[in-house]
Amino acid sequence: MLFMHETHQVIGRHAGDFEDLYREQWMGTLAEGDDGRLVWYLNHAMGSGPSYQVVTITAVADGGAWERLAARMLTGDMAELAARLDTMRYEVEGKLLLPVAWSALQEVDLSAVSTDGAEHGLSLYMQDTGWPDAPLDDYIALWDADYWQVMRQTPPERKLLDIQACFQVGHGSGIRPEAILMQKIMSVETLGGLLTRVEQYDPTTWPGTYMAKGLEIRDQWESKLLRTSAWSPLW
Amino acid sequence: MLFVHQVHQVVGTEAERFEDAFRQGWMGSLAGGSDARLLWYFDLAHGSGLAYRVVTVTAVEDGAAWERLAERIAGGDLRSWARHLDGLQHSSTGRILTTLPWSPPPMALADVPTETTEREPVLYMEDTMWPFPGKLGEYIEAAGAVYRPALGAEDAKMQMHIELALQTLPGAGRSPEVTLLQRLTSLPRLLHLLTNDLSEAVAGPGSWMHEALALRDQWRSKLLRTAPWSPLP
Repeated sequence: MLFMHETHQVIGRHAGDFEDLYREQWMGTLAEGDDGRLVWYLNHAMGSGPSYQVVTITAVADGGAWERLAARMLTGDMAELAARLDTMRYEVEGKLLLPVAWSALQEVDLSAVSTDGAEHGLSLYMQDTGWPDAPLDDYIALWDADYWQVMRQTPPERKLLDIQACFQVGHGSGIRPEAILMQKIMSVETLGGLLTRVEQYDPTTWPGTYMAKGLEIRDQWESKLLRTSAWSPLW
Repeated sequence: MLFVHQVHQVVGTEAERFEDAFRQGWMGSLAGGSDARLLWYFDLAHGSGLAYRVVTVTAVEDGAAWERLAERIAGGDLRSWARHLDGLQHSSTGRILTTLPWSPPPMALADVPTETTEREPVLYMEDTMWPFPGKLGEYIEAAGAVYRPALGAEDAKMQMHIELALQTLPGAGRSPEVTLLQRLTSLPRLLHLLTNDLSEAVAGPGSWMHEALALRDQWRSKLLRTAPWSPLP
């Protein structure tokens, strides 16, 4: 399965119309076929980065399904909708993601994804994108052994993040080396502590071990705080 | 057919090994199957932009073939090759493209050479344009109707031939974006362009340069030189 990750730089005065079009027309039209489903619609939390930036993630059955979806968007039944979206954003940057071997999310049952736009509570995600100096495989292995395995054993009351997915970029569709973590924030209070606390990263305690060891292969990454819309199929 | 376009930021001291990895490793590995072929291996001409940049263009049969290729790199027989390449480049930025309706047709994969034959390098001007919001369709249409035939006119200021006219596919790069791979056939014309202001006839009202400003005003040109062994010159 592939995950089409798109970052939309939306024209501010069209932000409401952009989201409405996604919710009321795009999601449903996409669901008229079996090739893909919109799974996340996320707004970059204002105050933590760029303004009017939206991230969408679409689960796509396979490479053939992506090609058919692209054709629908360029010249098929979704072309008119795509053109209308184009008038509401400055640009969109996309990449095709593959789940890494240890990612908790590997497949999405497309037939079970909600397409009715029903409302629910909001969730906050921390999307980390990292660019190692070392071979990509080494970075993914570090995340597995020293981050994912540690984080999954953290007691619920201490848990900041639930690592829901880890991806690498499919060949030629973005940057290499690059890997991405989709992490649901489980405790806003703990996030507040992370944002305001001066961390010494003691190498003998979490997260010091990972932070210290990680510097051997990377020191550049970007965290984005993304808030699901009230109707995002996954949240 | 799809086109994987990659810009590689090569480690300067590893430039020769990087090129060898594509010539021996990538081109040879692809030749063992029918899913994909390396078409072009370009060096960004020193003196015209960023240093140690290589552009590669790989043609892939279709979306299913691209997925097979991506899986071979992520966890299959090409994983070790990709790991080797990670040590030779700082990073690469890729996008997947498809031809515009008026593009010259691409060469069939079966006809792409897979044996290295040395020849004189060829200079290309690769133009990448970013139309204004909502203007992608109009830009593509106008470029096909006005720009493309103008290049072929006898009195054309630039002697170039569009080898491929492409747009970036949804979910695999930036949009709206159009890319033209243009083969230069006259170095003196290029040097004239570089050393003279644009004339009123070229840039004034009524010209393509002027009228197309309603559709876009941002683009980037790259001067790319084929490697002597590049499968397509």
